[in-house]
Amino acid sequence: MTLAIETVNLTKTFGSRQALRGVDLAIPTGSVFGVIGPNGSGKSTTMRILLDIVRPTSGSATVLGRSPREGGIGLRRRIGYLPGELILEGRVTGRALLTHYASISGPVSPSRVADLAERLGLDLTLPVRSLSKGNKQKLGIIQAFMHDPHVLVLDEPTSGLDPLVQQIFLDLVREARESGQTVFLSSHVLSEIEQVADEVAILREGRVVTTSTVERLREVAQRRVRASILEATPGEVTAHLNTIPGLNGLTVATAPDGTLSLTGTLEGEPDAFVKALAALHVHDVSIEMPNLEDAVLQLYSESDAEIAASGITTTPSAQEATR
Amino acid sequence: MSTTTPASTVLPLLRHAMRESWRSLIGWSIGLVAALSLYLPLFPSIGGDSGIQDLIGNLPPELTAALSYQNIFTGAGYTQSTFFGLMGFVLLSIAGISWGTAAIAGDEERGTLELTLAHGVSRTQVVLERSAAIVLRVAVLGLVTALTILLLNGPGKLELDAGNVFITVLAACGTTLLAAVMAIAVGSITGRRSYALLGGAAVAVLGYAFNALGNQTKDLEWLKNFSPYAWAFRDEPLVNGWSFGIAALYLGVVVLVGVALAAFNRRDVGR
Repeated sequence: MTLAIETVNLTKTFGSRQALRGVDLAIPTGSVFGVIGPNGSGKSTTMRILLDIVRPTSGSATVLGRSPREGGIGLRRRIGYLPGELILEGRVTGRALLTHYASISGPVSPSRVADLAERLGLDLTLPVRSLSKGNKQKLGIIQAFMHDPHVLVLDEPTSGLDPLVQQIFLDLVREARESGQTVFLSSHVLSEIEQVADEVAILREGRVVTTSTVERLREVAQRRVRASILEATPGEVTAHLNTIPGLNGLTVATAPDGTLSLTGTLEGEPDAFVKALAALHVHDVSIEMPNLEDAVLQLYSESDAEIAASGITTTPSAQEATR
Repeated sequence: MSTTTPASTVLPLLRHAMRESWRSLIGWSIGLVAALSLYLPLFPSIGGDSGIQDLIGNLPPELTAALSYQNIFTGAGYTQSTFFGLMGFVLLSIAGISWGTAAIAGDEERGTLELTLAHGVSRTQVVLERSAAIVLRVAVLGLVTALTILLLNGPGKLELDAGNVFITVLAACGTTLLAAVMAIAVGSITGRRSYALLGGAAVAVLGYAFNALGNQTKDLEWLKNFSPYAWAFRDEPLVNGWSFGIAALYLGVVVLVGVALAAFNRRDVGR
């Protein structure tokens, strides 16, 4: 497995403020890697180092096997970057601005810009300064994707986009992965990127507190489940469902019309629960999407608690959580 | 709907800078032509008017020296005092300093420099191409100035030597560029718009002030050695043509671009 992006013990100090306190990331080629963290956690600083906009205080970073500083122009031509605080100005039209950025990045095929603009629903004939925040963000996404770079570094790419355009953006990310490109993207909320990310790292106060595959997050994530059951007593239902692994907080209430309504949370895959329900007369059922946000917090507090308990970071389960 | 976007164009940042600034270039050109058209045609009525001669004779000698009005009765002295030493200097300096401030510090503080640097350009290239864009713009302003002066030379009875007009414009452009690249250099070091502006303005304002003070007494004449304005004009290029001071201006420009390159390549960029 080759790594498209790797950072080892990366630190960065701005004056007296420590923005990064030893960030380790290993992002495999061809994967979609998300980094989640609150504002000021170091997401943007890490990304800026990859583009050689900011130089690290210590530690190392490599993109496509080269350090950003030494890779220089040749390396940056193979990266598409969307800044977190995208500022685009000028009297020129969107198309003219993209033509300018194309002239200082990798080769852009003529139809690519038009294709991206059409999919995102952006009018390229308007002056850049007249565009709304969301439309400027679209322009930013186009300039990052248009030269089909090997690596995409996207800082808060979905900010300012309406949900429909967010989905189109996620499609673009999927297509990039399918064509072998590596995508490194950030968000302050997991829900915006969980659909496309293979792996996520949680960054807090300049450190990676945990890295996990989204699959594993889904396993530990809790789903809220509800069902309405006919022709059964509360006792029967409780006894029937109590043995299901991962079903917690089961409550069974009887409605005035005799319907039983049961609620609970489910961890892991819902197979056993669904099969057990099948033996009953199910009037209605809902199994919600797992809440990965909570799962992240849970993983985070687990590793945090273990680190705190052991005083070191090498306990087996902490390793598990931070792998 | 087709866009043709070649993989790379020659001097992309220079072209972009010119595209973004042609309006301001036209605006400053109009300003210079207007100032010249306002002053130069008046020379026959001032240079030959005994009333004005008496008026200037009655002014405090310090003021006459500060404005170099002692030579105002020759075409060269008049052009120097009213344009190169006053409105022309002010207009050119403001244009140059505002372009120099915008080139690095303004772009950085606005937040747009980061995205440019994330593309396939080096920092050296950014400083050099943007400096070159300013040189080009100042050259256009210089050309407009020189041609306008030559156009008004006959009607205004100024009797200026065409070659010396070009040399004097070259000197004026030198002071403009020195202030402009000072703004670039300070912007490259600090990334702050206000500091860059201050740096550029210091070159122009202190240069002018040192020259004016140096004109007052022999004791203060040494101040002129630190005045780019004096380097350009102390040897009266409209009368005497070329002097080494003009070369010194351009040498200073090269040195300051070097400073800008060294500083900008070393530091973090961002707000």
